[in-house]
Amino acid sequence: MRLLARLLSDLNSGLRLREDEVIRINDQYFTLNPALRDGLKVKDGLVYAGRYLGRDRRIFEPSSLLLQELASEPGTRKVRVGRGAAWLFVCGRDVFQENVEAVEGELSPGSHCLVVYGSRCIGVGRYETVWNKMMVRNLFNLGDFLHREGSAT
Amino acid sequence: MIVLKGREYFLGRYAELGRSLTGDEATSQAIRVNPFKVADGEVVEALEGEGVQLEKVPWLDHGYWVAGSPFSLGASLEYLLGLYSIQEAASQLPVQVLRPGPLDVALDMCSAPGGKTTQMAAYMENGGVLYAVDASRDRLYAAENSLERCGVTNTLVYHGDAAVIDLGTRFTKILLDAPCSGNYAADHGWFSRRTLRDVEANAERQRLLLSRAVGLLERGGRLLYSTCSLEPEEDELNVQWLLENHPVDLLPITGPGDPASTEVFGANLDTRVSRCRRIWPGEGTQGFFVAEAVRL
Repeated sequence: MRLLARLLSDLNSGLRLREDEVIRINDQYFTLNPALRDGLKVKDGLVYAGRYLGRDRRIFEPSSLLLQELASEPGTRKVRVGRGAAWLFVCGRDVFQENVEAVEGELSPGSHCLVVYGSRCIGVGRYETVWNKMMVRNLFNLGDFLHREGSAT
Repeated sequence: MIVLKGREYFLGRYAELGRSLTGDEATSQAIRVNPFKVADGEVVEALEGEGVQLEKVPWLDHGYWVAGSPFSLGASLEYLLGLYSIQEAASQLPVQVLRPGPLDVALDMCSAPGGKTTQMAAYMENGGVLYAVDASRDRLYAAENSLERCGVTNTLVYHGDAAVIDLGTRFTKILLDAPCSGNYAADHGWFSRRTLRDVEANAERQRLLLSRAVGLLERGGRLLYSTCSLEPEEDELNVQWLLENHPVDLLPITGPGDPASTEVFGANLDTRVSRCRRIWPGEGTQGFFVAEAVRL
């Protein structure tokens, strides 16, 4: 929960999760709606439940569900990019100033921000300046699905 | 000694069932649009803009055959965003027939790698409660990724054997897409690996799962049984066994393919078995068998 709380704070999110509403399975965190809470009568063998928030790694790796929810929050920091930059970002590349279409929220060096393509969030980055030009360092992106699919088999 | 395996042997069985096949039929790649993230048109437009050739599957709600693509459809931006999944056309039919809704308490008994689980969640509009079970922990990782990618939030996933698992509840809808012998159209080298003994072992395991499924259904609840096997031991004969041993009736299924056979290798089956659907390989699909039962 500590890493998750830090990420939410870094992104200027107003989302607050109480510890008692979050379920932890190994290093993964979930929340359940009331119907699932009622339906969860057996916990043995449970490996995934309800709304997946993400997992603890060196940083908190947010789920695509959480990313999308944060992107729809008006107050979160966002960098909007076009299709080409979005594709490079999910391939692990950083976003450079010339590829940024819009910035929402106050960004200063070291700030975390969501990277958004259209209406959809594709990852998280850290705002940095290099040679007086802005860039968004790639911290986590949806390309992680491909790495996971590759390593699961 | 008679060897009950091989290309000629199995093709001969299919001929006895009334279908002349070459053994070279193949399936086409297909995708399924994820309707609670996006309208079909948006995905089709985006993919066609990137050079992908799509053709709507006329008997599916959100399925498209892929006639050509300049890149792997499992690694596009739209795929990563969960706007579509790669799912063979015939394998999209079972959930479409079962059609769980947002008020259902549903179970996917053999859920990994999760394609049909995410399809069930889509029909349920992320409502109700969907339980998903699989015996393979490794394959469940893929299911978890699919659930996350597709934005599913109504599912509890368990690692366990569906034949014995007890989740403390009964269900209004159950999908039993049973582990089966598969078929040659989706599995290169199938003829050289499979024997009749495999088929019979799978059929026995499927009957265990069918029994458990009926035991977990509420009265009036529906069970969708499907396999991608062409072998009647796993299809029509198992449904006949289900009718003889459990309080169920069969519901008629319309759609692609043929009514299931009621004459199998000299045996006359209950005429209700013809309410099930048998899809032979060819015409853009692999083989599939679909039965829908209601618990009495």
